[in-house]
Order: sequence, then C-alpha cells, then structure tokens
Amino acid sequence: MRAADAGRHLGVLRRLGQTFRAGTTLVAVGVCLLVVAFVVVLAGTALPAIRHFGLRFFTDPAFSTIPVLVGTLLTSGLALLLAVPVAFGVAIFVSESAPRWLRLALTYVVDLGATIPSVVYGFWALEVLVPWMRSTVEPDLARATGGRGPFAGLPLGTDLLSASVVLAIMIVPTISALAREALRSVPRSSREAALGLGATRWDATRIAVLGPASPGLVAAVMLGLGRAIGETIAVALVIGNIYVLPTSLFSPGGTIPSLIVNRFGDAFGLQLDALIELGLILFALSFAINLGARLLIRRLEAGPRGGTPSASRRRSGALTPSAPSAAAGSLLQAPPWWERVARRRATTVRRRRLRERIVLIVLAAAVLAAVVPLASLVATAVGQGGSAVITPSFYTSVPPPFCVKANASTVCPLGGIGPAIEGTLILLGLASLVGIPVGVLTGIYLSEYGRNRFGRLLSLLTDVMVGVPSILLGVFVFALFLRYDRFDAQSALAGSAALALLMIPIVTRATETALRAVPSHLREAALALGFPRHRVTTRIVLGNARGALVTGNLLALGRAGGETAALVLTAGTSTYWFTGLRAPIAALGPLIYDDLTISIAPNWTIDAWGAALILLLIMAAVSLAARLSLRTEGEPGSE
Amino acid sequence: MRSVPSKMEVAGLNAWYGPRQVLYDLSIDLPDRASTAIIGPSGCGKSTFLRCLNRLHEEGAGARVQGTIRLDGEDLARLDPALVRCRVGMVFQKPSPFPNLSIFENVAAGLRLLGVRRREELDQGVSQALIEAGLWEEVAEVLDAPGTSLSGGQQQRLCIARALAVRPEVLLLDEPCSALDPIATAKIEGLLAKLRSEYTVVIATHNLAQATRIADHTAFLYLGSLIEFAPTEQLFQHPKEALTENYVKGRFG
Repeated sequence: MRAADAGRHLGVLRRLGQTFRAGTTLVAVGVCLLVVAFVVVLAGTALPAIRHFGLRFFTDPAFSTIPVLVGTLLTSGLALLLAVPVAFGVAIFVSESAPRWLRLALTYVVDLGATIPSVVYGFWALEVLVPWMRSTVEPDLARATGGRGPFAGLPLGTDLLSASVVLAIMIVPTISALAREALRSVPRSSREAALGLGATRWDATRIAVLGPASPGLVAAVMLGLGRAIGETIAVALVIGNIYVLPTSLFSPGGTIPSLIVNRFGDAFGLQLDALIELGLILFALSFAINLGARLLIRRLEAGPRGGTPSASRRRSGALTPSAPSAAAGSLLQAPPWWERVARRRATTVRRRRLRERIVLIVLAAAVLAAVVPLASLVATAVGQGGSAVITPSFYTSVPPPFCVKANASTVCPLGGIGPAIEGTLILLGLASLVGIPVGVLTGIYLSEYGRNRFGRLLSLLTDVMVGVPSILLGVFVFALFLRYDRFDAQSALAGSAALALLMIPIVTRATETALRAVPSHLREAALALGFPRHRVTTRIVLGNARGALVTGNLLALGRAGGETAALVLTAGTSTYWFTGLRAPIAALGPLIYDDLTISIAPNWTIDAWGAALILLLIMAAVSLAARLSLRTEGEPGSE
Repeated sequence: MRSVPSKMEVAGLNAWYGPRQVLYDLSIDLPDRASTAIIGPSGCGKSTFLRCLNRLHEEGAGARVQGTIRLDGEDLARLDPALVRCRVGMVFQKPSPFPNLSIFENVAAGLRLLGVRRREELDQGVSQALIEAGLWEEVAEVLDAPGTSLSGGQQQRLCIARALAVRPEVLLLDEPCSALDPIATAKIEGLLAKLRSEYTVVIATHNLAQATRIADHTAFLYLGSLIEFAPTEQLFQHPKEALTENYVKGRFG
C-alpha cells in the first residue's frame, strides 16, 4: 500500500516537474518570438520607406540621415574617449586601493549614478552643464586652440561637445560599475602572488588583475558605448537639434535617437516610416556593437596569447642552458649580472613606490571627475526641487495652471505632479504584471534548462534586448499599436507594453545571474535527497537567490519608473489624471521632458525639479536596497 | 640547535584578523640554510605566521601585527614591504600562476619588477629558475604557453620557479602540496630536499610525514601559540610537551 502511494506520489511529482519545465520553456519560446517580432515589425514598418526612397534616404539632405549618423557616432565616440579613463580609474581605485569605507561609499555612489534616469541627467545638463560649457569651457578651449579645427565657431553650449560630455557623465557610472565587478572577480590569490614577489599594489594590479579582468573590462566599455549610442532624452535636450553635417564640436547637431524623439510627434505616413527606418539603422548599430563585444570577449577569454609582445622575440642563446640537464648540486650559482640587480633592488623598489603614488593621484583625480557631476546633480535637484517635494499638495494636485490675477497681484500656483505619480504607478503595475513573471520564468529556463542550442540563442537575444536603446522599444510598440489599433497608438496600454518590454530582458538577466550564483552543491545535495528537479528549482534555488531576485526586479522597476524616451513615444501627452487604458497617460519622465520642451506653465522648473528629485530619491532607495540585500547574502568567500 | 646561526628572528609576535587574534606572543629563531616545518591542526595560525614573515598579513583588510621580526638582524618593519618580499619569497597553498601570462612571463615577472630588461638576462634568469625548480625539461618547448595550461603539480613548481627567479634569501611555502596528488607531491618534496641546503626554507604543512621527510627543524603551533620547536627527529621522537606528543602521535588534529 505504502509503496503504491509513494509511487503515485512520485508520478504526480514527475508530472508537476514536466509541467513546470514545459511552462518555463513555453515562456522562453515566447520571449524569443517577441524578439523576432520586434525585428520583423520594425523592418516591416520601415519597408515602404526603404522601397520608396531607396538610396536617396542617405543622399538626400532632407532626411538628415548622414548628419545624424555622424552625430551619433561622433558624440558616442567622444563620450567613450572621455568616459573610459575616468570610469576605469574609479573602478581600479574602488577595487584595488580604497579603504573599506570609501569603497562602500563609492560603490554606492557609482551604482546610484548608473540608475539615475536619463531625463534627470538631461535636465541637470541643460540647467547647469550647458551654461558652464557656454561661458567657461568652450571659450577656454577656443582660446587655447585658436578657434581652429574641432573648436571653431561660436561656443553655443547646446552643441555636440556638450552632448558628448553629458553622455560621458552618464556612462561613467555604467562602465565603472561593470569594470569594478570585473576587477573584483579576480581572486585575491592572484594579487597576493604578485605582492609576494615584491610588487606594489599598482604592480599587482598591472601584472595580476588587469589581464584576467580584460574580458569584463571590454564588456563594460561596450555596454557604455551601446548606452551612449542609444541615449535619447539627455542628448535631445542639449545637442541643439540641427540636422546638418557638423563643422566643429561647437556645432549644434543631432543623433538618430534625438531626431526620432523630436520628429515622432508630427510624423505620419512615409515620414513616420522613414523615422522607423532610422530606428532600424540604430538597431543595426546596437546589434553590431553587441556582436562585436561578444567576439572580442570570446577572444580575450580564449586565454592568453603568448603573453609576451611577440613569441619569436626571444630566442637568445641564454635560453638554452649550456648544461641542459644540470646536475642537482651546482644549481644555484647566481649569474654574473645578478650582483648588479641585487645592488639596485632597494632603488627599483623606491622607484616603483613613487610610481604607485603617482598612479594613486591619477586615480583620485578620476574619482573626483566622476563624483563632482553627480554631486552637482544631486545638489541642484535638492536645491531646486526640495521645497516642492516637502509640500504635501505637490503629490496630489495637477500641474500648475496659468497664473491668476487676484486683486492687484498675480498668483502663480505651485501645482503638483499627482497625475504623473498616479500614471507612473499604473504603468509600472501593468508592466510588472507581464514583465516580472515572463522575465523570471525566462531566467529560470536559462539557468536551469538552458544548456542547449536554444538556450544559447535565447541568451544572445536577451543580451541584444538588454542593449537595445529604449527609444526603439517605444518605436516598436508604437508601430505595433498603429497597425492594429490606429487611434489609440499612444495610450496607457501602449506605454505599459513598452515598459514591460524594457523590463523583461533586465529581469531575465537578473534572475539567471541570481540562480546561477546558487552553488551547485546545494542543488546536488537537494537532488541527492530525492527532491524532484522542479522542487529543487522552486524551493532550494529560488529560496537561496531570493535577495538577488528582489534586487534585480527592483532595479528593473527603477529603470522603467524613470524611463522617458519610450514613454514619450507610446504613452502620449497628458497632464491630467488617469482616464482609461486606451487614453494617454501622464508619467514622471515625460512630465519632466515635456516641461523642458513644450510647457508654458509658470513654475514649471520647480515642478520638473520636484519630479526629478522624486525620481532621484526612488533610485537612491533602490540602489540602497540592492546594496543591502547583496551585503546580507555575503560577499563571495574570502578564504 | 642553539648553535645554528639564525636567519630570521621572531620575537613576541601577535597577529589579528579584525577583532580575532590568531597568533599569541610567538617567538622563534629560524635557522639559516635549513628547512623548518610549521605543523599544527587547521586554523592554528600556520599560514598567518608565514604571512607575517614576508609582511603579507598586513595587506588583508583589518589585519594587525605586533612584535618584531628580524631578517639578518634588520627589523622588517623598517624595510619597504616590497623589498622584504623580494628577499623573502612565498609559494602559496593553491598554485597561483598569473593566468594571463605565459610560462616564461610568469617566471620573468619578478625579474622585470627588479628592473631586469635585457633579453639575455631575462632568458638566463628564467631558464635557471625553471631548472632549479625541476620544471625546465617539461616546459622548455612550451615557454609561450599560458602558465595555467600546466598540470597542478607543474603549476606549483612554476610558482616555485617564479619565487626562485628573484633569488630570495628565505623561501616560505604555505602547504604547497595540499592541492596536489602524491606523485606531484613527491616531486616537490624532492625539490625541497635540494633547496634546503641553499636557502632558508619555512614550510607550513599539516602532513606530519612530510615534515619528517623534508624539515631539519619543526615547530608545533597550537591555537596560535608556539608549543614546541626542536630538531625534527627530536620533536617527533621525544616531544617535551604533552600536547605535541598527542598531536604527533595522531591523537587529535
């Protein structure tokens, strides 16, 4: 009897397991199809334009294709040039040199910097950076170079150079956070091996850390480049938006994403299709970067090449000792030059100590360069938006209406961002309803069942989707809704669909990483106890990865909560309370963007800074939660 | 034993990891050109003691040291740690070749740090160190292969060659064979038997038989304190302390 019961129970369990596996597989296949749909819809919608305009799309100045392509590559390239040294400097400082308290503080600041929404960066840049560039940096540069070459022309402030600098400021935290993780994943034993040879800290970094970390460092740079190329809102706010070929860095210009977001509102018919064709080009760019990064990383991971500049470099006679099988006793005769080396030992050590100190100064300068803009941003937001944020009515009222003449004076009400908060919460709720379960299940599939060809494909597609500029998600959703739902293409529903698309790959990656981090011996122990596979996943693995999972979802929610570009395209423009899923909806990001670009209401700066400060506070909380949950789960064993 | 000249003199050594003290008032004179084994159960402070001898302990977060260590009469605390580590080489428990460097560059790393640039000198230094470590014949043809492509035992000998290349006066080995199979262990022990007459060798080991095979002197550490230090044969055959006797007879640990 008992045996039969047990057998039946096992049968039930097996079926449950099969169902679980089938379920996650189904979702995973769905995500794959979604990515395919993404490409197909973009290409399909652009097709009329491609057919109609052909090569004229590139040659005809009316389309501005070449100028924005140049603008995109120029600003991203320059941003990368500015950002990489700073970001690597910060990462090396945090990982190799900083005392513990400073390491924790800087880690937090950098992680926060990576989560600040681009609309907030853009706002700050417009209010603080652009005036500074116009009044100080650009005139100085022009003077120093005699106003020639890339520094010719009138310093306007809203130009390619400012856009590059904002981009650099934005991608420094992204690159730095990933680079830091890459450096920290190099085991301590490698560093100690170098220190044990008489290396200084900097020597140890150079010899034992940078090499093994190089795949991760490359990945960090590539992610930064991808982010720079797809960045929309911050660039659109400061680049000047003039779509002709730039003649200098002081020329106003445009990039593909900024052109799309600027023209999308008024475009229809073939114009719209042409914009989507531009989007397709942007996708191709980001895809190429992703693929290039993969190839480069694989080559680096394939292990060391010779390790020396050139393998054939050395074939001196000294390498073939005169007595190849030297007898055991007479081994330790020092070569004649050793005396010289030994005598200078203390001097070389002193010289390397000096170099270590100089490097430390350079690293500290990098940290300063990374932290100062962030500090300025936070200070500005608190200074400008602080009063609004502590006013209760700010959260419950609608944006400021026009000023009212009361008696003899004019009263301009503060207004509030109630609708935007409501709208953001609704959008996030709807997006999580789809994004979180789909992302988590896909992540489970990748981690637990994904060791096959389909799994690798899915993993590639997830990487591609993580790197897709968010504005393209907006373009995709808009195109999709336009096709089936002509009149309500911009609505709460479309907005939350775009946010869900944004969240899925992030949640997937976070889930996969969290599950993979659960040590395999835990799984094996549970399997050995007779746990069925799906129970191991749901109970043991998910249980142990809980903290990291929550963190991943929080970060995804944070990203979506501050998203602007995709929402500007899909959620429409609304300053009023929620009226229905098929109507436009307000949200925090678009509120700031609209305030900066189209609002004529008084008090709009306070309004927008209040919203920006709220976004900042949310991100600060999310980053803090992420830090804390990772800390309680413990850092990987030190010994 | 007191007649042997000592290379390193340790007096009143205390060491902490954060709030946890791991070494208590340890004093010992390590004899010159002889090998000393440090034995004791896991967690007794063997590694920490070794890491104090080349000032590596203090690199850890929250680590603290007290007491004096002299090398040829010079106080280590007055020397630059990097210089100390040139003179006191170390081989770690887990083979740790630099993963992105070739076999040649692994061994050359220390020489390059000392400013050796000339190709003939590097070649000579590297090949000699590899010969001394008994690895030359196995790797002479593959010097440009990554250090990590070798077997575990070969990697460990590569690490020994890396340490020997800068011609240290003292060689510290922290359980160098605990991750190796018996054949690789035998090779390394053979190598140590050769080195011990030329270098001051200090080897931490939990393998008592290994200590009897390769050490001239043996120190027994227990819970961070030095219990007994004597010529190896005497310590194993006629221990003075009851604790030592219990440990070497295999009654605990």
